[in-house]
Amino acid sequence: MTQQELAIPGFTLRGLAILGLLAATPAAAQQQKIGAPPEAANMRLVGTNDLQARSAYQPTIHHQGDRWIAYIGHHGGTDAVPDPVNPLTGKAEHNGTSIVDVTDPAHPKYLHHIPGQAGKYEGGGAQMVRVCDGKTLPNADRNAVYMLRTFGSEAHEIWNTADPANPVLVTRLGGLKDTHKSWWECDTGIAYLVSGAPDWRVRRMTQIYDLSDPAHPKKIRDFGLPGQEPGATGTVPTELHGPISTGPAGNRVYFGYGTNKGGMLQIVDREKLLKGPPAPTPENLRAPEIARLEMAGWNGAHTTFPMLQMPIAQFAHDKDGGKRDIVMIVDEAILNECGEARQMVWFADVSTEKRPMVVSSYTADETAGNFCQRGGRFGSHSSNESMDPVFYRKMAFIAFFNAGVRALDIRDPYHPKEVGHFIPAITDKTDKRCVTVGGQERCKVAIQTNNVETDARGYIYIVDRANTGLHILELTGPARQAAGLP
Amino acid sequence: MLTRRTLIHALLAATLVVGLAGFSTFAHWYKAWMDEYGPGWHATAWPFLRDGFAPGRAWRNGDVTVYVRPKLGFCANCDTGVVDDSEVDQVTDVDLLDDRFTPVGAGERIRVTDLVGRARLYNIATPAGTRTAWAIAVNYKCDLIVALAVGRLDDATVRHETREFLESNTVQVWLNQQLEGR
Repeated sequence: MTQQELAIPGFTLRGLAILGLLAATPAAAQQQKIGAPPEAANMRLVGTNDLQARSAYQPTIHHQGDRWIAYIGHHGGTDAVPDPVNPLTGKAEHNGTSIVDVTDPAHPKYLHHIPGQAGKYEGGGAQMVRVCDGKTLPNADRNAVYMLRTFGSEAHEIWNTADPANPVLVTRLGGLKDTHKSWWECDTGIAYLVSGAPDWRVRRMTQIYDLSDPAHPKKIRDFGLPGQEPGATGTVPTELHGPISTGPAGNRVYFGYGTNKGGMLQIVDREKLLKGPPAPTPENLRAPEIARLEMAGWNGAHTTFPMLQMPIAQFAHDKDGGKRDIVMIVDEAILNECGEARQMVWFADVSTEKRPMVVSSYTADETAGNFCQRGGRFGSHSSNESMDPVFYRKMAFIAFFNAGVRALDIRDPYHPKEVGHFIPAITDKTDKRCVTVGGQERCKVAIQTNNVETDARGYIYIVDRANTGLHILELTGPARQAAGLP
Repeated sequence: MLTRRTLIHALLAATLVVGLAGFSTFAHWYKAWMDEYGPGWHATAWPFLRDGFAPGRAWRNGDVTVYVRPKLGFCANCDTGVVDDSEVDQVTDVDLLDDRFTPVGAGERIRVTDLVGRARLYNIATPAGTRTAWAIAVNYKCDLIVALAVGRLDDATVRHETREFLESNTVQVWLNQQLEGR
């Protein structure tokens, strides 16, 4: 037998083996199907609501008297259904804000929908929402509950949701060219509103307001990176995604810039920011900045979540540095079927503030679920932002689009470890996601877990960008133990 | 013993070989020279450092150089596309040549093949002195295609020729390949 003759069956055998492996991989099996069970590890579904099949962004869970209320912001409608019908009113309504009673998480009750701005996808809706009690805001009506939301790209609004089934508009701050992921300090009323002031050179910068009396907003200043201000010339720095403040106690605001490109963490002195000269000159914009952490060109910063003074077990016996200030930076994936560099999670040690340094990273395992082939986006988008002790500095939950939510044990942020995940099943409400291949549009239907939040009871709330709704989860097994939950 | 006739044949053959080799070398050199300096557009190296977007392509025609690349998923508004000058300042690559670029007046709406967007002229500082750059941004759904031309772009005829080149098969075939899957 010649060498050539030997090679042919060898090739054939290898080919068969490869085909066999391909058949055995999760690729084919993990294309989501309606009716199939969710995929889960150490997380369990408690309850669900379809949110009237509206594309969902920010959930905020608020303990309101003896009730737990979920406020959920929405993107605009889809080409197929621009204005879904609200079964409570029988009317077609622009996507806005869903208000859901989740006191019994197994049976969430949809209370009310406040319509948002007309427009589809990111061009409409009311995606952001934050909630403060009147009794914690310094100058507000103590009986009120205030919901701050965006109104599409046009405005910020504050509603009184003391009766969550009958919200009442209190204030509107309009005249903007965009809005996004704002932050509101409930103990001071200071709000960092991600806005597009008409004369600024970017769609998204920060307008800082004193909303301690929501009925009478007081503008403090506009803020952004030097070069973004009105009248500047030359390079326009990457636009803002969203800030998170530690309030007066921490005296820091962590600004995340970028989405999936040119990202940056900016650490700002809150006191200097609020009390510095407000005119948007390059000098005044530079003055409150403490440091920047510039990321690789192909990653952005959607969420910059501070976890200060984290005790690190590995460093417990070190003479210095036993506690570290950590900021978790979450990029946002924006292109379907992995059409970009991986967007993931980065942990930055900012203990020496002038020299922030990335010390670890996390991404869901693409090969474990063949996520690049499932359809829609794969990669990180956002994390929970609650600082309630139940999970704070212990567990982080990352919305990972078609990989669902990923539960991370972050007690050692130098070595974050995935301890659970949950990928909801798709339903007949789940919207398709398309790419163009060979000039033809090819669409797939997959979960697009967009945002996540937690409550003080230990429930995890995830919402879907592809219209599948709200899923309320809890940890089980080792993940529950890692969180210290009974 | 070689005859005189054989020697002459050998000499002629050698001369022919040397002549052909010389011609071939000259032809190669001439083609390379024409590619580099001849009339029309010629590909040249993409000169910029890696950033968040994939590198593009560059072409040169005389003293005009044009840089083109798609920026996938970068469009702020997929429906309206690029509609104001501040967005042209922000999304085009003019800052890669000079981060203190200065706009020369207001921009204008532009159409390149069936894509529409906005274009603006800038003064930029280069080692060779102040030059004019013409930055163009058009959108295809949620993706941007940006072009930057540097040279005598203050001349409307040169801008017209540059736009025609952007609409040519040379650029469009490459761009369509880059937008595959979008």
